[in-house]
Amino acid sequence: MSKLFPTQEIGSLKKPADMLKKVKDPNVSDEEKIKVRNDAAISNIKTLEDIGLDIVYDGEVRRVEMYEEPVRYVDGFEFAGRVRSWDNKYYNKARVVGPVAFKQNFHAEEFNFVKENSNRELKVPITGAYTLADWSYDEHYKSKDELVLALAKNVVRPLVKDLVGLGAKIIQIDEPAATTHPAEMDIFRESINESVKGIDAKFVVHACFSGNDYQALAPQMPEIKAQQYTLEFANRDTWKEGLDDDSRKGFQVLKLFKEHGFEGEIGIGVSDVHVNEIESPELIRDRILYAAKALGDPTKVYVNPDCGLRTRTREVSFDKIRSMVKGAELARKATS
Amino acid sequence: MISSYTFGIYPRSEELIEATRKNTENLASLVQSETDGYITAQKNANLGFISDPLLKWDDIYRPFSNLASVNLSSLNRIYEMNTFYRILSFDGPNFINGDNVVQSNLDSSLPRNKTVAIPEPFTFAECHTSKEFKTKEDFTMNLAKMLRAEINSLVESGFEVIQLLAPSIAYNKEVDFGIVSDALKIITDGLNAKTILHTYFGDVSTKIESLLGLPVSGLGFDITTTPTSSIEKHSFSDKILTVGIINSFNTAIEKPQECIKQIDEINAKTKPKESYVSNNFDLEYIPKEFAMNKISVLGEIARGAKDV
Repeated sequence: MSKLFPTQEIGSLKKPADMLKKVKDPNVSDEEKIKVRNDAAISNIKTLEDIGLDIVYDGEVRRVEMYEEPVRYVDGFEFAGRVRSWDNKYYNKARVVGPVAFKQNFHAEEFNFVKENSNRELKVPITGAYTLADWSYDEHYKSKDELVLALAKNVVRPLVKDLVGLGAKIIQIDEPAATTHPAEMDIFRESINESVKGIDAKFVVHACFSGNDYQALAPQMPEIKAQQYTLEFANRDTWKEGLDDDSRKGFQVLKLFKEHGFEGEIGIGVSDVHVNEIESPELIRDRILYAAKALGDPTKVYVNPDCGLRTRTREVSFDKIRSMVKGAELARKATS
Repeated sequence: MISSYTFGIYPRSEELIEATRKNTENLASLVQSETDGYITAQKNANLGFISDPLLKWDDIYRPFSNLASVNLSSLNRIYEMNTFYRILSFDGPNFINGDNVVQSNLDSSLPRNKTVAIPEPFTFAECHTSKEFKTKEDFTMNLAKMLRAEINSLVESGFEVIQLLAPSIAYNKEVDFGIVSDALKIITDGLNAKTILHTYFGDVSTKIESLLGLPVSGLGFDITTTPTSSIEKHSFSDKILTVGIINSFNTAIEKPQECIKQIDEINAKTKPKESYVSNNFDLEYIPKEFAMNKISVLGEIARGAKDV
C-alpha cells in the first residue's frame, strides 16, 4: 500500500444484540435470519469504512467463534463437549477421530458478501492449523506435529487456495496458540509454510502475546512465508506519550525482530483490547513513530488494535478504532 | 492391588455450566447432586482415597481470595494451557493464619478415606503477587504458613492424604530447591498426614534427585511430560510414588491392561515405599463423559497392579 501507516482491524467485533436475539429466535424465519446477518455485516463494514480504516472485513459477524466455526466444517473432527476457558466461560472442544480433510470453503459466502459490499482492501481472517491442533484432542495422529501438518496441508491450504480463487488478496492466519508453546516454534513455522505453499497472495500472521513476549517467535520470523505479522504491543506499553524507550516499553521487542533479520511488515497493536479506556490519538501517534524508528523503515508499519475487539462493547470498539485512525494521521503528518 | 486417588477440579456438566451462567434456582441442588455423583463414581471405582470434585471452584486458587487482605486481580494463562486463572494479590499480612477457606469450600459428605489437593507454596508464589512482601522468598514462606494453617484444619477433620500441586517446579527451568524445601518444611514438619508433591506441565527428569530430597511423604509424576524411563532410574524406597497414568488432556481412554503392565514395570524398578496411581492433572480439561470413564479405568488399573 502506497499510503504510510495503513490502518486495519484484526477480526472480531462484538455481535449486535438485536442480531443475536433474532438468529436465536425459533419463530424467526430462515430468510429473516439471513437478512439480519447481512444487515449486521453491512453495518460493520460501513462503520469501519466511515471511520476511515484502509483495510476492512465484516467483524466476523457470521462466525460462532474462531475455533468452533472451522471445526464444524472439517472432516475428522467430533465435538467432545465444553471445556473451561476461565471462571464459568467455556468453549466447545473437539476430538480428532480420523484423517482431517477439507469439505467446503466455509468462508466463501462471507467473503463474497464482503467483496460485494466494500470497495476497500479486504483482509480475510482464518484460523491457523497450529491453533486448530492445539485446541483439540488428538485421538488419531501419532504426534502433534503430524496433526498440525495434516491440518495445514489438507484443510488450511485448500481453504486459502479457494479464497484466493474467489479473489482474496490478503489472508490473515490467526494463531493465538502459537506463542503459548515456545518449544514448538519449529512446527508452527512449518505449519504456516505448508498452509501457504504455492499460493499467490499476501499472508499476514496474527499471534497473541504470551509470557514469552515473542522471544521464541522472533528467530522464526524470517523463515516463515508471511509478509506481515499483526502482533500485540499496547497491552504492556505505558499510557505516557513519548518516543523514549521507557514510555514505549511494550514496543521494544520490535528491535529483536530486526536483529533476527526480519524485514517484512509489522501490524502494530496500538490499542489494548482488554480495557475500555480509549488511547488518545497522540499516544497512538507516538507508538507508531517509535515502531517506525525501531524497524528502521516507516513503510513496514501497519496500524491495528492488539487483537480482535469482541470482548469490548461496540461503542468502545469503534471509539478505539476512531482514535487509531486519527493517531495514524498524526503520525503521517509528523513523518512528512 | 495398589492405592489410587484423583486430584484437582472435575468438569462441570453442560447442565451445570448453563445453570451457573443463568444462576438458576436449582443451582445449589445441581452442584450437590453432581458432587454426589462424582463421589459415588470414585467409590464405585474402588479408589483408595476420595476427592471433592470442586465444582464450585472457578480455579484451584479461588477459595484463597476469601482470605483477609487478598484481592482478585487479572486473568493469567495456566502455563501453556488454553485456560486461565485469576491472579490473587496479597496486599497485607493478615492472611497468614488462614481462615479454613479450603475446608469450608469442600463437600461435607466425603467419606473417611478422603484426600484434598492444594497448591504448594513455591507454585503459589510464582502464580500470584504481593504488595506486602518484598522478596519472592518472603512471600513463599508466608504463603507456606497460611497453607499450614489450612492443612492443620483439614487434617483435624480427617483428611489422610494432602496432595501438594507443584506445576511451577516442573514448568520453570530454574527452581531454587532451597526455597522449595524450606517452605515445604513449614507445611510438613510434625504433620500427621501423608503429603504427596505432584509435578506436571513440564519434564522433571533432571530434577528428580532434588525432588527426592524434599520433606514430603511422596512424589507424583505426569508421565506424559516426564518419561517413565527417567523415573525408573531412581529408587523410591523412602517415598510414596504416585504415577499420573490417567491423561486429563486427551479424550482417548487408557487401555487398563497396558497401564497395569506399565505400573508394574515402574514399581519393579523404583521399589517405592507405597505405590499409588492418579490422574496427571485436573480432570476438568476433558468433558464430564470422558472424566467419568477415566475414573473407572483408574480404579481398574489400581486393582490390577501388583502390590509393592
